[in-house]
Amino acid sequence: MEKEVVIKAENVIKKFGERTILNGISLEVYRGDTFVIMGGSGCGKSTFLRHITGALKPDSGKIYLLGKDLTRVSDDEMDALKKKIGMCFQSAALFDSMTVGENVSLPLREHTKLERGVIDIVVKMKLELVGLRGFEDLMPSQLSGGMRKRVGLARAIAMDPEIVFYDEPTAGLDPIVAGVIDKLILDLSKKLSITSIVVTHDMKSVFSIADRVAMLYEGKVLEVGTSDEIKRSNNPSVQQFISGSPDGPIRFFQQKDDYLEHLIR
Amino acid sequence: MPIRLENKNNLTVCHIDGEIDINSSPGIKKAFDKLIAKKEPKVVVNFSKVSYVDSSGLATLVEVLKNMRTYGGRLRLTNLSPKIKSLFEITKLEKLFDIVAEEEEAISTFM
Repeated sequence: MEKEVVIKAENVIKKFGERTILNGISLEVYRGDTFVIMGGSGCGKSTFLRHITGALKPDSGKIYLLGKDLTRVSDDEMDALKKKIGMCFQSAALFDSMTVGENVSLPLREHTKLERGVIDIVVKMKLELVGLRGFEDLMPSQLSGGMRKRVGLARAIAMDPEIVFYDEPTAGLDPIVAGVIDKLILDLSKKLSITSIVVTHDMKSVFSIADRVAMLYEGKVLEVGTSDEIKRSNNPSVQQFISGSPDGPIRFFQQKDDYLEHLIR
Repeated sequence: MPIRLENKNNLTVCHIDGEIDINSSPGIKKAFDKLIAKKEPKVVVNFSKVSYVDSSGLATLVEVLKNMRTYGGRLRLTNLSPKIKSLFEITKLEKLFDIVAEEEEAISTFM
């Protein structure tokens, strides 16, 4: 059976001033997949994420989200699309002045006509899914980093999104908590049939959660394929990234010949 | 309103048509609120025309059950598609609700 494409990028180019951040990215994400976008710092992966969620528009190229061309959607269409996606941010982005329950219920209070009693039940159901039922009345400051991320995840799935975007979900977490978050992403994807897009540079995460992987480097897709295909890739840059070697085709410093001239300019 | 009420054998059968989601749940809740205000003792909800239930739909049903229990009312769900039945299982709600395969059986055995 042919898989349904829920996100499609066609030759996406974005420049910030003189710098080309995205240099012709094309890829497809299938419904129900956990799709990982990996790459080093500054490779353009977070900028690309902001394009496929509609936060930024490309200079050229096309992006289709759930069949809608994001370069041409009206504000109303974008609002409707936003209700179908959930965002899980690197910092969890919780409101510190609100309780855990209020944070999770925020999208429901803002975007629906559901009554309080029903919303409270949805919140309990979502917190149960992330293993935090009973924590409704705590403040974010009373939680650990991993728990805050789980609250962020509960909020991201509050509206039953079709797609959840995760920006560096395991950054700053110890390996065990990172593993818990990875397992949660997998469980939620399979149980709730959610398509997950995960931006990360955590190689352990990549291979434990990904159905398919795209590796970005200097604003381009270096390789895209299943986890196994990426692991077996002959591309030296991909292998360098997987092994974490400082030596190889990927340059970690922008070496320029005009250094001395630049100093005395 | 995608909800039709029918009286059969001294109980109320609710036929819901379409999706029970964020958009339709508030209206469906209001229809149930009227039955609850009358302290309807036995309610059967027929899901044969329900194509999809989201979290807000499940939460609405939980709230209805909760409110009915306050006066000793009972709620029974019937004709769930395999997809919707598995949703109740995933969310562990199949143990909370009284789920019966067919409407006829749900009515005839509702003592």
